[in-house]
Amino acid sequence: MATVRKQERSALGLAHAGSLPVLLILAALVVGFTALLPLVQSSGATSTAGDIQRLEGERQDWQARLHELEVDVATLGSLARIESEARLRLGMTRPTETHYLTIDAPPPAERRLPSRYLPQDSRREESGDSLWDTLTGWLP
Amino acid sequence: MGRKPGSVTWRLWAVVAAMGFGTLVITGRLAQLQLFDHQQYAHEARLTHMSEQTLLDRRGALLDRNGYPLAASQDTYDVMVESRAWSNGAVAAEAAAALSPAAGKSAEEMLAAVQDSDIFEVNVATGLNYERAEAVRALRLSGVRLVTSSHRVYPEGNLAAQLLGFVGRDNTGLTGLEADLNAILDGSAGTIRFERDGLGNQFPLGERLEIAPQPGANVVLTIDRYIQRLAEQELDRTIKDHKATGGSIIVVEPATGEILAMASRPTFDVTRLDLSDASKAALYRNRAITDQYEPGSVFKLVTTAAGIDSGTVSPDTWWYDNGSLSADSWTIRNWDLKAYGSQTIQQMLSKSLNTGAAWVAQQVGPERFYDYVSRFGFGSPTEIGLSGESSGRVRTPESDPASWRSVDMATNSFGQGISVTPLQMCMAVAAIANNGMLVKPHIIRAIVSPNATTSFDPEPVRQAISPQSSQTLREMMGVVVDGISASYLDVQGYRVGGKTGTASVATDSGGYKPDAYISSFVGIAPVENPRLAVLVKIDEPKEVPWGTVVAAPAFGRLVQDALAYLKVPPTESALVSTIQ
Repeated sequence: MATVRKQERSALGLAHAGSLPVLLILAALVVGFTALLPLVQSSGATSTAGDIQRLEGERQDWQARLHELEVDVATLGSLARIESEARLRLGMTRPTETHYLTIDAPPPAERRLPSRYLPQDSRREESGDSLWDTLTGWLP
Repeated sequence: MGRKPGSVTWRLWAVVAAMGFGTLVITGRLAQLQLFDHQQYAHEARLTHMSEQTLLDRRGALLDRNGYPLAASQDTYDVMVESRAWSNGAVAAEAAAALSPAAGKSAEEMLAAVQDSDIFEVNVATGLNYERAEAVRALRLSGVRLVTSSHRVYPEGNLAAQLLGFVGRDNTGLTGLEADLNAILDGSAGTIRFERDGLGNQFPLGERLEIAPQPGANVVLTIDRYIQRLAEQELDRTIKDHKATGGSIIVVEPATGEILAMASRPTFDVTRLDLSDASKAALYRNRAITDQYEPGSVFKLVTTAAGIDSGTVSPDTWWYDNGSLSADSWTIRNWDLKAYGSQTIQQMLSKSLNTGAAWVAQQVGPERFYDYVSRFGFGSPTEIGLSGESSGRVRTPESDPASWRSVDMATNSFGQGISVTPLQMCMAVAAIANNGMLVKPHIIRAIVSPNATTSFDPEPVRQAISPQSSQTLREMMGVVVDGISASYLDVQGYRVGGKTGTASVATDSGGYKPDAYISSFVGIAPVENPRLAVLVKIDEPKEVPWGTVVAAPAFGRLVQDALAYLKVPPTESALVSTIQ
């Protein structure tokens, strides 16, 4: 029993003597990493916030471009332009006589308002129609 | 004289005192900076690092009844320069030169704007479109930033300019619907405060406080852009053909009171406004509701309606026209000074005989006559919801007992001595077309905000005449048009009804303008089931003053196109074939 106890003490002593620097290094590493953690977090948050700002900026840019396109669509669909195109490009003239025909067919579907002129409607998202489709579908 | 061991010399005390004093000074200064002047320095720090912007969402659009934008807003950008960033002459000159092509302004102009100003940030260029704004942003100039703004655009050009109105540079409505609906269209502004870097960009993790702006609501009008354009084209053509000074055309849906078109001339160019020119202010008013005039013979419809609805006369009632009729000491004569002998009420209306109208009014009596005038809405505003509306002027025995005489009723019966607005006259005819029910006219169909849509339903005012009387009047109006030469009025495929009018132009002094007339035509189409009530009023045409010649053709052309556009089925006899 005495021999065994001595051996255990020796093993413990060896372990104590050899592991202290390791423990200190490990502790330093832990402290170092712990100290770095807020920095990493801060860096990540900064990066994410930067990304959000960049994306917000992009979103605003796209919205601005979309608004310009909406105005372009409205201007291109104006009656004055349609008449000008009809007269000048297609060579159309006003009718001199009026003939009435009865056509036994259902009338065309009601024209839709552009999406931005309507209140938010979640069902429209399910339909899969893009805003551009909505705008172009609304053209005369 | 030897120094005691361990005693402190005066030199040491001096050092301690100096250090203590220094510490006190530093502490005092710190206290001054941190405690007493804290607010000032904190404010200066905020000015340096914080930026505040007003956020404006887009102004709502004005849309026609089918959703086509008549007035909409487009994003634009203003270029702001920090005065301090351009305090160095060489740096400023270089930055201004780089900025000039993108901003569309000369470098000298921008430099002068910044150097002449003592404010923190100067607006050096406004109204840049997206491409130009991108070019400015790409320069990444220190102290230069873009602020989003908005510009009002009119995709249909000057269509309905007086009705729509316009906005000022601050996007506040100044006239027309833009002003009347400003609170609805404008939404509410928001603000954003944030920490920024030297370029004016936001620090990603800096302080930030944002109150989001609310967008304005879109307003769907009852105006139909196609019919509005037809009305304006016909108005322009008629004014040009007859060298008139101006005029108005109103198109109403009788059953609902919805205004499909409201055009007035002279007008203005909304894309080239000059608000400094006071002489142009008169062009901005919507004459269809603000101006009152003596309607002339079109008012005989009201007189006839009073006679028929009160049971005093019928279309076949005979009366004898000897060419004149006495009222007080005055003599009423026909427009052509002729006597027509025995005539029916229908003939009175078709031939537009003043003596006949005065005779009907006398048979009805002043009390009932003015009651019908009031029932048709004359003498009070229609309450269409547009600012500046006149109520017209109707003198009755009750309202003006001192000076009213029976000759007033006699002249009122054929539309002289009474003032109405074009809209009042049109709505009275719409009531005849709508089974005798007077409906309040309205111009707004719906208000579409991001969260809700508010619709406006027709609002009946009162039963002006019975449906039976209305039916009789419509038929009589049809007979009147049947008697007009096809060279002036011929609507193919539909039977239309109406009444012409030619009235003298009253002056402010109480008399009439010599050789000046107002030609007008009020009509309904089709007679059987009216979908449209139309008023055409032409001011002071030259050469020929008659409503039949001047105003009726415009009504015919407008109605011909509008009925086909509205897909109103023509009469059976007009159909040439059926396609299965």
